Amino acid sequence: MLKYIIKRVLWVIPTLLGVLIILFSLTYLMPGDPASAMLGPRATPELVEELNNRLHLNENMPTRLGYYLLGVVKGDLGTSVWSGHSVSSLISSSLPHTALLAVSSLGVAAVIGVFLGAFGAIRQNSPISRFVTIVSLLGVAVPDFVAALLLVLLFCVKFPILPSIGAGTDGGILGIATHLILPATALGIGWVGYLSRLTRESMVDVLDSDYIRTAKAFALPQRSIAYVYALKNAIIPTITVIGLGVGKLLGGAVFVEIIFNRPGLGKMIVDAVYARDFPVVQGGILVATILFVLANLLADISYGFVNPQIQYD
Amino acid sequence: MNTTSSKRISGQMNRQMSLTPRWTETLIMAFQSVAKVKGGLIGAIFISVMLLSAICAQWISPYDPNAQNIIQRFTGPGTAHLLGTDYLGRDILSRIIYGCRIAVLVAFGAVSLSSIIGVFLGVMAGYNEGKKFDYFIIWLFDIVRSFPQIILALAIVAVMGPSLVNVVVALAFTAFPFYGRIARAQTLSVKEADYVKAAEAMGQKPLTIILRHITPNIMAPVIVCLGMDMATMIIWESGLSFLGLGVRPPTASWGIMLRNGYKYIQVSPWMILWPAVAIALSMIAFSLFSEGLRVALDPKERER
Repeated sequence: MLKYIIKRVLWVIPTLLGVLIILFSLTYLMPGDPASAMLGPRATPELVEELNNRLHLNENMPTRLGYYLLGVVKGDLGTSVWSGHSVSSLISSSLPHTALLAVSSLGVAAVIGVFLGAFGAIRQNSPISRFVTIVSLLGVAVPDFVAALLLVLLFCVKFPILPSIGAGTDGGILGIATHLILPATALGIGWVGYLSRLTRESMVDVLDSDYIRTAKAFALPQRSIAYVYALKNAIIPTITVIGLGVGKLLGGAVFVEIIFNRPGLGKMIVDAVYARDFPVVQGGILVATILFVLANLLADISYGFVNPQIQYD
Repeated sequence: MNTTSSKRISGQMNRQMSLTPRWTETLIMAFQSVAKVKGGLIGAIFISVMLLSAICAQWISPYDPNAQNIIQRFTGPGTAHLLGTDYLGRDILSRIIYGCRIAVLVAFGAVSLSSIIGVFLGVMAGYNEGKKFDYFIIWLFDIVRSFPQIILALAIVAVMGPSLVNVVVALAFTAFPFYGRIARAQTLSVKEADYVKAAEAMGQKPLTIILRHITPNIMAPVIVCLGMDMATMIIWESGLSFLGLGVRPPTASWGIMLRNGYKYIQVSPWMILWPAVAIALSMIAFSLFSEGLRVALDPKERER
């Protein structure tokens, strides 16, 4: 187990190195001269020259890659071509908004989803079980950004009861909370459906197993059989899915933040794409990727702890 | 005479030795069993309707999708325009039908590109298990899988410039490691099978073994993924177009329709509602279909 954890943690290093190389080589995919592409058609030659020097664009490829890797290791992600702010300061001001959105939507979705799924498995063919089916179908059918648009249409245009723009940082805790409801719902509704279906499926399997039959033979209370003995094992697939889901969640956050105009990481990346502000795009994607890699690492490791049956070589 | 007959015999022997069902047979069998699964048939019918409207868009759509009629803009569903009109007075139904074409093109393009590349690399890696090439491919897969998929696609399209082809390439690039990993894992077990050993003993070339004996036998789980992945690609195409990073307007794409609908959300709900319905229906269709595929191709499920 320990050997597996060490191997798994060490593997992160070459992976992140590769991620950096890909992010670096993206600049080569740009048609034409990257500096003039970033500065736009009206840039003077002096400005282009200055940017070329600042971003080391005149050097050959290995040198530039060296500069880039060295900067990242030192924690320097470069400066925004447009605003002149350092990319890390832009990220640290936008990341909390995305983190709050992601954690609150996934957290609430996981609790509701697992509970609905477990309940649906225990009472098969009950109204709740049918409700789980409908919710999971809805979650599959309506992707997060479409859900966000429909929520805006329903709760901001038809029945204007919830705010649709910004993060509500001026309004104190209450403002932040009310501004969080719609985006978090849009991002989480698919997860409720997905996790409830997943939990129900694995719960049905677990309830069929021998140890549950034994527990029933010992006349343990129904409720503790279901929610303690069965759920503990039925929840295992859910954990890996949540780890993998952080990537989807960060991707979904891009759309939700654009639609609700929340100043998060996703909006920062897309705005930088529109402005051709490449250092910001690179930095934002790097941070999102690191978060995703760490989430997967945690999921993989915790999987071993939750399920001691798994043997690692 | 003698040489041709011996060739024929060795050809027959090859066919008998390989014992692998042909691709087409596998596919037909799969579709037959999908139709038997509850829901799978509904999904298959839905998808056929989508394909049909994508192919025959110019004959079945009532109007030209780009024909503007400023006087009749923002109309709700009615007899003249079945689903209403958008901010330029364009017929929404026609645009939905043409949008189908973009969705299907991107989905099929991206999924076939990524699965062909992914499966090929995965099988090659699995066949060369433990060698440097294998580690390199695993590394490559892990790097690309580390990115949140849609964010990587967004970045690629952003630097290459938005266009239909670039969207397909970007989406395919983000998805190929998933096929690769499945293919590699399957190859590891299949390559130990007797018929592969027999082919090796007969002195067949590695590439022949990979293409004729291994690849057809690892396709079942890959095919299951194809169905669900097409749904994902449709979502992402419309997502990228929604951000203005997909196909270029005025091309009718569901994502562009949503983008315009969002701009005029205060004026007309229909511009958002109909493309959302189109996306939802195609998602349901693909998920029913791929669930049917999964059950049909899984011997354990079939026994139930």
